[in-house]
Amino acid sequence: MTESFLEVRDVYSGYGKIEVLHGVSLTVAPKEIVCVIGPNGSGKSTLLKTIVGLIQPTRGFIQFDGSEISHKEPEENVELGIAYIPQGKNIFPSLTVMENLEMGGISLKDSRKARNAIQEIWERYPILQKRRKIKAGSLSGGEKQVLAMARASILQPRLILLDEPSIGLAPKVIDEMYHHINRMNREGIPLLIVEQNARKALRLAHRAYVLDLGRNRLEDTGEGLLNNEEVQHLYLGR
Amino acid sequence: MSYILQSIFNGLLAGCIYALFAMGLTMVYRVLNFVNFAHGELIMWGAYLLYLFMGDPFHFPLYVALIPALGFTILLGLGMDWIVFKPLRRTNRLTLLIAALGISFFLRNGAQLFWGAELRTYGFEIKRGWRLFHISMTANQMAIILATLGCIIIVYLLLYRSIIGKAMRAVSDNLELARVTGINAKKTIRFTWIISSALACVGGILLALDTNLQPGMGMINLVKAFAAILLGGVGNVWGALWGGIFIGLAENLSVLFISTGYKDSIAFGMMVLLLLLRPRVLYGSQE
Repeated sequence: MTESFLEVRDVYSGYGKIEVLHGVSLTVAPKEIVCVIGPNGSGKSTLLKTIVGLIQPTRGFIQFDGSEISHKEPEENVELGIAYIPQGKNIFPSLTVMENLEMGGISLKDSRKARNAIQEIWERYPILQKRRKIKAGSLSGGEKQVLAMARASILQPRLILLDEPSIGLAPKVIDEMYHHINRMNREGIPLLIVEQNARKALRLAHRAYVLDLGRNRLEDTGEGLLNNEEVQHLYLGR
Repeated sequence: MSYILQSIFNGLLAGCIYALFAMGLTMVYRVLNFVNFAHGELIMWGAYLLYLFMGDPFHFPLYVALIPALGFTILLGLGMDWIVFKPLRRTNRLTLLIAALGISFFLRNGAQLFWGAELRTYGFEIKRGWRLFHISMTANQMAIILATLGCIIIVYLLLYRSIIGKAMRAVSDNLELARVTGINAKKTIRFTWIISSALACVGGILLALDTNLQPGMGMINLVKAFAAILLGGVGNVWGALWGGIFIGLAENLSVLFISTGYKDSIAFGMMVLLLLLRPRVLYGSQE
């Protein structure tokens, strides 16, 4: 196996007394896109929250770029270079688009760096520049998702955790979203993507995992899972 | 006619002060998700601290005494968060509510121990006011209006022009997202307490300038601030501002119809009505 950039080993985690993950393991290699699919309630979102530190694992081990992060707070993980884009509510609705981006760079010591990063975002996503003064809450679903990804990119993350980037979006917008995701990856950023609508993500992913009821079920290349009969039957609805 | 104008003026005056209380109360609510029932005691201590620094042994003039009064009220606000609320952050709202009531009793009785229960004033002689369009107003009352306007402008600039104020709005939108964005939530929460306490202190001093000092002054005005934030939509800073002014006006205009003795019941009545008709207001504007 290749050297892993992120390693999750036998992690147990959940909310209070309710355990959701019963021993999940996965790895992400440098520059890799890894996709986790699985039905509702399989623990996909919980997995990402546990990695970023919003939930503390009860057992198991998480390692990022050679150092253990199992029990780090989210603020520390952000500093280490882990970006997490939650599902759904992933922008600050009462702040303007510009202010949302400013928040993305708030932990940078050098404010010039943040300004430059925002300048780059305007070039990359002209739609955001056009709307910079309006409240982020009134953006369309696709624009919100783009804003969330743009905000996360300001800190130049070394790993991006994406929770259901395509949820609630029109097919055309999903295509656009995956175009942005692919571009980020080509620039060398590894991504761990959790998806329920798996086809698009699997096509893009180098490797993928199937999670079921908080446990690993299958692991293969993206292509492999796409052609796996069981996966087709259970998760791709074919 | 002039009687009505005078009532409107008095209502605006009272409303300004309620607005300052309500804005601070609603800010803490939005960021920390609980109603700080000890906010009234920040109001009262703010007023008494000014009294302390103007009296024996300091004898500072008003504008000098203002600085330590503000400083210590802010410390009091930060202190109650640090000692009581912060360790209870992960418990439910009821625990926080009871704890806030506990702090409130403690601070009120503390003030009574120092200064006694009798009414006090800052001891400025009451000058005859000016008359303007049939309304009489004193220098103190002008100061109240100007100070309130100043506070509103400062709050606006802090919330919309400073990075820490924007972070505060981000935290009140979504605390989890703020944390994973790299916003320092602890710093932001401290900032919220500072603004909230400072507004309470200024409001308390203005109230005492217009009326008098008394250890119970916090509690009664907390209720009015609470009614104001219900009216303006819980968690909405500008809603709290308008809510406060509305309560002030309603109270003072009610005097045209009912005896002044019942003035305080207006805010209570409105609060009860609001809770009966729209019980969901308490869950805030987040949904």
